[in-house]
Amino acid sequence: MVQVEAASGSAVNISCSRDELAQRLGLVSRAVSTRTAVQILSGVLLRAESGRVTLAATDMEVSLRAQLEARAEGDGAVVVPGKLLVELTRLLPDDEVRIESGAEESVVRISCGSASYQLNSYNPEDFPRLPSVEGTQTFGVDGHALLETAARVGRAASRDESRPVLTGVLMRFEGDKLIMAATDSYRLSVQETVLGGSTPDLEAIVPARSLTELARIAQGADTVEIGIHENQVLFAANDIWLTTRRIDGQFPNYKQLLPETFEHELTLPRGELLEVVRRTAVLAQRNSPLRLRFAEGELTVSAQTHDVGEARESLPVSFTGEPLEIGFNAEFLRDGIESLDDDELRLRLISPLRPGLIQSAAGNFSYLIMPIRLAG
Amino acid sequence: MIIGHLDLDAFFAAVEELEQPELRGRPLVVGGDPHGRGVVATANYEARRYGIGSAMSCAEALRRCPRAVFVHPRKGLYSTYSDAVWAAVREVVPTVERTGLDEGYLDLGEVADDFARARELAEAIQAVVRGATRLSASVGVATCKVCAKVASDRRKPGGLTVVPPGREAAFLAPFDVRLLAGVGPRAEARLLAAGVRTMGALAGLSDAELRSIAPGKVGRLLRDRARGVDARPIELGGEPVSISQEETFERDVLDRSRLHAELTTMATRVAENLTLGGRTARTITTKLRYPDFSIRSRSQTLPVGIDDGARIGELACSLLDRALADRPGAVRLVGVGVSSLEPHRQLTLLEASTEA
Repeated sequence: MVQVEAASGSAVNISCSRDELAQRLGLVSRAVSTRTAVQILSGVLLRAESGRVTLAATDMEVSLRAQLEARAEGDGAVVVPGKLLVELTRLLPDDEVRIESGAEESVVRISCGSASYQLNSYNPEDFPRLPSVEGTQTFGVDGHALLETAARVGRAASRDESRPVLTGVLMRFEGDKLIMAATDSYRLSVQETVLGGSTPDLEAIVPARSLTELARIAQGADTVEIGIHENQVLFAANDIWLTTRRIDGQFPNYKQLLPETFEHELTLPRGELLEVVRRTAVLAQRNSPLRLRFAEGELTVSAQTHDVGEARESLPVSFTGEPLEIGFNAEFLRDGIESLDDDELRLRLISPLRPGLIQSAAGNFSYLIMPIRLAG
Repeated sequence: MIIGHLDLDAFFAAVEELEQPELRGRPLVVGGDPHGRGVVATANYEARRYGIGSAMSCAEALRRCPRAVFVHPRKGLYSTYSDAVWAAVREVVPTVERTGLDEGYLDLGEVADDFARARELAEAIQAVVRGATRLSASVGVATCKVCAKVASDRRKPGGLTVVPPGREAAFLAPFDVRLLAGVGPRAEARLLAAGVRTMGALAGLSDAELRSIAPGKVGRLLRDRARGVDARPIELGGEPVSISQEETFERDVLDRSRLHAELTTMATRVAENLTLGGRTARTITTKLRYPDFSIRSRSQTLPVGIDDGARIGELACSLLDRALADRPGAVRLVGVGVSSLEPHRQLTLLEASTEA
């Protein structure tokens, strides 16, 4: 598929099953823009070319394209309001859906069984040009490894749009390794995954959100194709294409952020620690910190919310030396522990005002978390 | 009542000089970027010789002294020093009211029977602060807060000024009214316009004159203070739930960049208040009032509390833009507020890499 060419002036006449339309639309419509500033972005492009029908949507950050199993007469395109189309399709009877729009028309007619609709449509010429799929060189990556890596680091990305680089995930292919890193400046997660074979070297910062969408479309895929086209990264899996804008800027040097030495290193049962943290965090409301107090042989986790109450729980640990109390944001700490799936984790600490590090037993996943300076 | 007011000398700059001894003796400005829109938080005494002072734009400071060294504030560091200072002070005077990282009132009356003994205590406090932190402090001693505060500013740096009982009004008389607690820029402008330049002139106003210049309770309060009458006790605790600043314009303002500039300045002051109380805020609110007196406000709550003036300013401006997108037009007032205050501070990795 090349760019979406000017397609007005050509009529659209597509028919497919309701289920097929609903299923494909469900995948693609996630890229429909919910902000209405640019109207065309709230639409889904339906395009027929040489008997093949493609659905596409983009919010300028992420675009999604999928093939639709459909019969098409002639070549043409139409942009249908996305939200309306999704809602209609969901309610239509289980029957053949027909989508028609005449040349030069600014309406689209949809019919299914005895139901018929006429919707105002947008001009397909106004739809943004999406990067060419066929013109992009791609390489295949183990889909499970890619999605697992992305799932581990994604949560540490920032949601604060004022610092765009931090809303992204650094993705680096290096020899036979895939490295992903994300930080919202309060925590940093880095995962290094060894892939089955080597890939071309590639580095890009992609929006964390695009990887969440990728996880949906590439679910169960053994291979995900990846390529770069100008300032876009393209992923393809399960006959769906996702493109996303590369984020400009310098990703923080995460290696420099990881301290080289620590004062304390503990091995903790992950599941038990997670339970304790979850239970105690109930009383860490309104951003109150979770306090971790390490003393000879024991870790006490506590939380207190003013006017609500407090919680405290202990578990045995192999801690020696002067007691140490450190505060963490409960959600950040929980995220870190949840990102792992081993039975045990390593917790490494320096002092109450220096970062703590959670690592997998194998050491290929690191979650660095800055403490909260405790009051009083 | 015997009250002391302690004020650390050029605090942020003094801490930087202790941490980076190579800066000593050079004009030093702690504040924002001199090539951006930052403002001076603190200048050391060398820099003050060039006329550089707090709240001046850093660009102006750079113009006045091109060889000045500019450093970004390191609040975590200042608050560590501040804690050490107040811990040392409490060894001498147990009851203190911290009004900022670098200043606060001391209940000297609790431990001193007379002013001679209070002077000795004040000297002891200066010595323990220097001993514990190598920082220099100025202290004022008087029968009330307003006098003690003016007195601590009298002989900086490292000064000690004692205002004996009965001498309050005479002591205050020559000082500018703007140095009086409670006199803001607007009150000052009104007093100056009426020819009232000094505290002595304010103290001497008749009831009728006072009513025409500063009517109501506020006017009487200010005149009392100028006369050295101030019954405010040392306060302990009483946590604020929000901090805000607002500005009513002489004429309605439509110019977006002017509104942004106002919000940015107010955000800096709000952030200073936050830092002084050792707090962070998660909710930022921008308030505006239209010429028809209707009020609109827009808020945003962050996942983690902040105390950075520049960030608060950015958020406040974007909230203003959102409000004005809903209802465009001139406004007669804008304000910035922060709430969801937290006593703890989430540290950041990027800070750790520079502070460690």
